[in-house]
Amino acid sequence: MIFIFGAITVLLSLRMPIGTFRMAGAGLFPLCLGILLMVLSSIFLLRFLFKKWQNVKKEESPSEIPGSAMQVLFFMGAMILATLFFKILGYPLVSFLLMVALLRILGMKQWPFNISLSLITAIASYFLFVQWLKIPLPKGWIGL
Amino acid sequence: MFESLQHLASGFTIATTFYNLFYCLIGAIVGTLIGVLPGIGPIAGIALLIPATFGLNPTSAIIMLAGIYYGAMYGGSTTSILLNVPGETASVITCIDGYQMAQKGRAGPALAICAIGSFIAGTIGLFGLVFLAPPLAEAALAFGPPEYFSLMVFGFIVLSNVTGTSLIKSLMMAVVGLIIGTIGLDPVTGDARFTFGSISLLGGIEFVAVAIGLFGIAEVLTNVEKPLEMLEQRVIVPRFRELYPSLQDLKKSITAILRGTGIGFGVGLVPGPAPVIATYSSYMIERKISKHPEEFGKGAIEGVAGPESANNSACQSAFIPLFVLGIPFAPPTAILLGALLIHGVTPGPLLIGQHPELFWGVIASMYIGNFILLILNLPFVPLFANILRIPKKILLPLIILFCITGQYTVNNSVFDIGIMLLFGALGFLMRKWAYEGAPLLLALVLGPKLEVAFRQSLMISHGDFGVFINRPISMVFLLATLVFLAIPILRTVSKYLKKGGIV
Repeated sequence: MIFIFGAITVLLSLRMPIGTFRMAGAGLFPLCLGILLMVLSSIFLLRFLFKKWQNVKKEESPSEIPGSAMQVLFFMGAMILATLFFKILGYPLVSFLLMVALLRILGMKQWPFNISLSLITAIASYFLFVQWLKIPLPKGWIGL
Repeated sequence: MFESLQHLASGFTIATTFYNLFYCLIGAIVGTLIGVLPGIGPIAGIALLIPATFGLNPTSAIIMLAGIYYGAMYGGSTTSILLNVPGETASVITCIDGYQMAQKGRAGPALAICAIGSFIAGTIGLFGLVFLAPPLAEAALAFGPPEYFSLMVFGFIVLSNVTGTSLIKSLMMAVVGLIIGTIGLDPVTGDARFTFGSISLLGGIEFVAVAIGLFGIAEVLTNVEKPLEMLEQRVIVPRFRELYPSLQDLKKSITAILRGTGIGFGVGLVPGPAPVIATYSSYMIERKISKHPEEFGKGAIEGVAGPESANNSACQSAFIPLFVLGIPFAPPTAILLGALLIHGVTPGPLLIGQHPELFWGVIASMYIGNFILLILNLPFVPLFANILRIPKKILLPLIILFCITGQYTVNNSVFDIGIMLLFGALGFLMRKWAYEGAPLLLALVLGPKLEVAFRQSLMISHGDFGVFINRPISMVFLLATLVFLAIPILRTVSKYLKKGGIV
């Protein structure tokens, strides 16, 4: 994947003016970086294949704990939705809904507690950022 | 020397104004909280609070942000000792003996010696900064674009060498960071690069978004992935009267503190995650020279005192390359460089002469900050420990909300939140596959500087690459780079030969 990223960088850089080393164009530096990345990722790939060929144990991944990928996906999804509706719904509503969703994903199953905690957080952050620090956060259709 | 002391005195006058004291206090408190809270470290913490400094003058802004940096180091040790969970990477070593001390009912003295050691290290480090920075700045005036280019390359190689499990992976991340750094307008010709017609990309990728994504969101996602029952831990909360170390503890610790300070200060001056290397080196040395090495790992107070002092000292000396050369050697100082640039201050050899109030004010404030932390940390340790009792399933959504809000306030841009989430997901995957985020972030911040230095050097030399080796300072940096590149290769080859790979 990193090799592909390097290759795409090289291709896109070639569409820019390259110039000479004396008078470099916009594309020269990224072109050099793209080539360097392709070389490095090739070395990495070769080493990986060589290790596999030698039956050396694969490099240990730091996360050995069995985890819940679904939980991460839901968490990420909730954040993306909040970003998409950030301007439309406005900060107070988005912060409330985001908190409800994230707490729920993390196993906060009692709705009254979840909703009240989210409401308190949304109100507190609204007063902190909008009222006290005067940060112009999106008002959305609720107009707050 | 006398002149430096005079400047330092004027720095104290600046740092002790009510306004600056207030921001120093805020920085120290917020930093401690960031260090205590899991899921958010000093890098994401400083990045998140940059927008809060927009209304401040540059001196107060950097005083506050620097306070967050060293405050987080103090806070990080609290979680290491009480929970066996390092609040940030530099506190990993403190877990070994700190947590053992807590298990034996000696959490109080461990926390106290951390604070005392950090304060002593801060005091000695201050004088190191005062006397080293001005002559180094004068020497740095001899640096031209080729020297800066070679120095930055050296920095990347050393950082890649000492972070993560694999040099090649770290180097790839550094190059990816450099490529991402080229997005936007070309700094020399003004051509748009990799913007795909997007106006939002013309200004380049916002480094704050990348920092919060890689170090904030990714950390939260890593926590979210863990099974729910693993999110809660038992916290040992020491009582106030148990906090003070005995005379014997102090006696045992003082030499470790002094050694840690020296190690930390030296390590902070070279590229790499200084606090992490400093704490590790200090621990190893203490264990090696101890008359009772068997006590290490079972609650030896020297194993807490040395590394914690080294940590603080390294944080302080890391400001020297930032202020004097304008080149940060680690991600937290890279974020501070970004903050300085946002405030219209370009660090480099001329900073001390052009912005003396900022340089001396920040240095003096670091000392005051250390003093505040010493006063603040000891009595409030039970309070900070209680914060750890907030369940993670409540804490993590709060951190996310704070990250999204903080990111939006940087440029009032939803696009930047998207970039932050993208790098959050990328950072999460990088952690899973053991890729380091630090080289990427440092390369992103330094990339434009590196490119300009590279192109200017070649312009000076009419396209001759000899410019990088014909100039002695540049050549020394490149030779050092080669040495650092050769070390892991030679190590691999010798390992292979030992295994009998080649007959």
